[in-house]
Amino acid sequence: MSYGGQTPTVVVLKEGTDTSQGRGQILSNIDACLAVQDTLKPTLGPFGSDVLLVSNGKTTITNDGATILHLLDVIHPAAKILVDVSKSQDAEVGDGTTSVTLLSAEFMKEARQFVEEGMSSNVIIRGYRKACELACKRIKEIEIELKKGGSKEEGDAEFRTLLKKCAKTAMSSKLIQANSEFFAEMVVEAVQCLDPEELDETMIGVKKIAGGSLEESRLVKGVSFKKTFSYAGFEQQPKKIVNAKILCLNVELELKAEKDNAEVRITKVSEYQAIVDAEWKLILQKLDAIVATGATVVLSKLPIGDLATQYFADRGIFCAGRVASDDLERTVAAVGGSVQSTCSDLTPENLGKCGLFEEIQIGKERYNVFEQCPEAQTCTLLLRGGADQVIAEVERSLHDAIMIVKRAIQDNYIVAGGGAIEMELSKYLREYSRQIAGKQQLIIAAYAKALEIIPRQLCENAGLDGTGLINKLRSLHSRGQIWYGLDFAHESVANNLETFVWEPALTKINALQSATEAASLVLGVDETVKSQPNQNTVGSQPVPPPGGRGRGMPAGMPPTQMHMS
Amino acid sequence: MQAPQGGPQRIPMENLSKPIFAQDEMGRPFIIVKDQGNKKREHGIDAVRSHILAARQIAKLLRTSLGPRGLDKILVSPDGDINITNDGATIMSEIQLSNEVAKLLVELSKSQDDEIGDGTTGVVILASSLLDQALDLIEKGIHPIKIANGFDKACKIATENLELIADEVKIDTESVDANLSKDSDLFKAASTSLGSKIVSKCRDKFARMAVESVLNVADLDRRDVDFELIKVDGKLGGSLEDSKVIKGVVLDKDFSHPQMPKQVTDAKIAILTCPFEPPKPKTKHKLEVESVEEFKNLQEYEQSTFKRMIEQVKQAGANLVICQWGFDDEANYMLLANELPAVRWVGGSEIEEIAIATKGRIVPRFEDLTPEKLGHAGTVREMALGTTRDRILVIEHCDNPKTVTALIRGSNKMIVDEATRSLHDSLCVVRNLIRDNHVVYGGGSAEISCSLKVAEAADKQQGIDQYAFRAFSQALDVVPTSLAENSGLDPIQVLTSLKAEHVKQKNAYLGVDCLGNGTNDMRQQFVIETLIGKKQQFLLATQLARMVLKINDVIISGKDQY
Repeated sequence: MSYGGQTPTVVVLKEGTDTSQGRGQILSNIDACLAVQDTLKPTLGPFGSDVLLVSNGKTTITNDGATILHLLDVIHPAAKILVDVSKSQDAEVGDGTTSVTLLSAEFMKEARQFVEEGMSSNVIIRGYRKACELACKRIKEIEIELKKGGSKEEGDAEFRTLLKKCAKTAMSSKLIQANSEFFAEMVVEAVQCLDPEELDETMIGVKKIAGGSLEESRLVKGVSFKKTFSYAGFEQQPKKIVNAKILCLNVELELKAEKDNAEVRITKVSEYQAIVDAEWKLILQKLDAIVATGATVVLSKLPIGDLATQYFADRGIFCAGRVASDDLERTVAAVGGSVQSTCSDLTPENLGKCGLFEEIQIGKERYNVFEQCPEAQTCTLLLRGGADQVIAEVERSLHDAIMIVKRAIQDNYIVAGGGAIEMELSKYLREYSRQIAGKQQLIIAAYAKALEIIPRQLCENAGLDGTGLINKLRSLHSRGQIWYGLDFAHESVANNLETFVWEPALTKINALQSATEAASLVLGVDETVKSQPNQNTVGSQPVPPPGGRGRGMPAGMPPTQMHMS
Repeated sequence: MQAPQGGPQRIPMENLSKPIFAQDEMGRPFIIVKDQGNKKREHGIDAVRSHILAARQIAKLLRTSLGPRGLDKILVSPDGDINITNDGATIMSEIQLSNEVAKLLVELSKSQDDEIGDGTTGVVILASSLLDQALDLIEKGIHPIKIANGFDKACKIATENLELIADEVKIDTESVDANLSKDSDLFKAASTSLGSKIVSKCRDKFARMAVESVLNVADLDRRDVDFELIKVDGKLGGSLEDSKVIKGVVLDKDFSHPQMPKQVTDAKIAILTCPFEPPKPKTKHKLEVESVEEFKNLQEYEQSTFKRMIEQVKQAGANLVICQWGFDDEANYMLLANELPAVRWVGGSEIEEIAIATKGRIVPRFEDLTPEKLGHAGTVREMALGTTRDRILVIEHCDNPKTVTALIRGSNKMIVDEATRSLHDSLCVVRNLIRDNHVVYGGGSAEISCSLKVAEAADKQQGIDQYAFRAFSQALDVVPTSLAENSGLDPIQVLTSLKAEHVKQKNAYLGVDCLGNGTNDMRQQFVIETLIGKKQQFLLATQLARMVLKINDVIISGKDQY
């Protein structure tokens, strides 16, 4: 009856401890979430560090909260909630994934004392919900609209600089911080290429090409993709076409058996040649039909064989087979026309157009570039960098920035970052809490305190004196300086609205709401029932008994987790 | 940090470090992350330190290969292949690494190789030197990201300085052949890049080859060089001196019949992608021969097709057939009888090359053959190499003179391989010069000049950047010191005296005199490196340093693949 083995168990279970049913469970769930928070903490903010993760032989170096949590492979059920929160923030807003996780865990941490004191979870949850509601309302009150002032052109230019500021803030914690000016320009440009109604970020293609410096990355206002596998004859095709007419196909252009399982029985020698000729005719008909449309560029999702390649080369047409389908879709979106799945009914209307088609050499790869497209609602970012991991991280950072710019366009309200808005909300809630009586006062105050984790962690990561600076911020905020936040350049505090550290208000509202939801969810769980895994690993993990695991055992009883073997 | 007791013994304790591991009230550990026991984790400064040590290890390996007196490495691959080289990128790609940061360095040298093609050793050494310097600062307690920020700023100053001290080389666009002479700048540049390689004994020969091939394909107005048009072919046998540039295409094939003429002048080439045999339907088919007559018909059909094919070729006016596929002995005989020399089994990419070089068209069917589709070449001849029975086909005096092949000979495979790589490096140098004729001088002179500049700027910095600037400046010194070390000079003495001279004479072209030519002025020695190459080195190395410095948490999951 010894549990001296103290084997780590997969499921949180407190054995032989408490008579109470669920409190221990809540507490250990909170602990688990805090452990996850610990992993993410150092990555927050402009001085946040990166995490190098190796899984299945693949190396990822990242600073993106959602990516880290995803690759960390969390299995603890409560901690998994945090992973989901970060994922939902990523999907909804695209940025702020680290802060949402941090906030959520911090809310739980603050709630811990109340749980320990025996307060009902429901009371805490109610308090948190109330606090969250108030905080969101406060953000709505103080948020600032990005105005398109003046004449249209002037306003546009101004709005653009404002968007760039937002993008720069989103990039400040990433690897590309030093080049944020360059990339901010690129990101804003890219987002503005999109259809302003929909702003579908999937229409921004990203191609990664190793080599070169980060600043050699470029934006193609149109579509670009890597040269596809080509057959002999390809090099004789034109590589630069002005006013190209583009035909997009989903047809295989190859001399081959039309039907896989067909078998021809030939009885006469003379028929032999006829069949050969018939097959040739089939493919030549297709090719002739394509040429007849006047297309100068032919793209296909399916292979374009050597015969077709040479046929096109003879007629001054460029072709590319096996084009990835998302590339082809973006091409169609950019150049117009539509993807044809047959060659029998081609009309010139099916063709797309673009001002300039060119095959260019980037590093050691060759890329097909379509520019000056009439319906340029798409663009492509060609990213360069020293190593694959660098580019991968740049891509993630740009994704965040793109999302932020997109949000800022759709919902052009902003707040100041660098911990400013959190300090303000914290102050506001604390003041509010003093006006109410009862337990809610404590809970709302705790919520207010939890919000301070963001500036505190920012300081900690930058190696600044957190306590001192936060005190300074508190006093400034209490005097009504609502936009004061941390200023890393001078290791002090500053009005972050004026220094252009901006974030879309929506990001913050969404972060607060989902963090509160997640915290409430974890606080509301007092029992975990986990079904038995199908195969048990021998050794380190003991076989869990079937049924309701996680239930607290009466004192004095032997723990459920016995060595069954 | 509490270590869990009774955990699986095979796991070292640090694997279960605190953050992904929690304990309930009883101090019993519970697991949050899947397969936690298999995950390794390193945290904080320790992580940074171990990364830097790994980088240092790699740099140590490469350091002795830097410069004209650099030494070669023998690399034995897992299947026992031996490779002798001092090309940084090659060494890095051949050694099997398990450390993640070391792998980053490999990619670094690879991307320098892809982009510039030269300076692959230097970039790795510089990156690791930067990290080395950063380690000192980290131990002083400076935040790694602040160091990285400082490096970035310092790098900017260094690259600006590079542009200041850059010089232009002369490329004679008027008469292209003037660049081939020994005194031309291009020639000297190519020669410098070969200095550290195994081919240095016949560097003039190779430099000439490099310049000749690049100029042949270069578009001097657009300043563009298409490397696809330069083929470097290594053949065992002979000596390095026998290497040469062939203005045309070299095929590793011979004529299909030994009695065919060995040389075709004024060749009109039919380039075919169909086999010399009766065409077959692609659809699955079955011919049932039921009578003798049918059989005769079939044979007749085959015969007649052969005849028709040859007729078609003849009619088009071709006197040489190059075929992607094979043909049987019967066809071969008929070709010989009809005095049509032919080459069979030529690969797809070679077919394409020939088509481009001879301005012919690739023909997929005999029916499509027309005189306009034929390629044209001055001579096509079969060449025997030494006494071996290896033969190659040389297609020269093509209509499109842009294609060149550099044929490299050597006494053993390793030499041929290394010579091929060396030639590639010097081709890259010449290409880069044609693209951008700005150069900086080598021998560490550019680094010393930048180092002084950055050190000077350091004093003007406020705050922590000062440290980073100084560190950057010291890191740059690694190049001249390594050069001096490899040349058997006293590194410290050389460096300090050079620095003093730089300041005194205000001459940014003083570098390490590796070859003992008696002058430190690299401009006189004409030891040059391309400006873009050097800039790229600085930028890439700084970028990598930032990346490594930024990591403070390493989580490596399961070794399940072992």
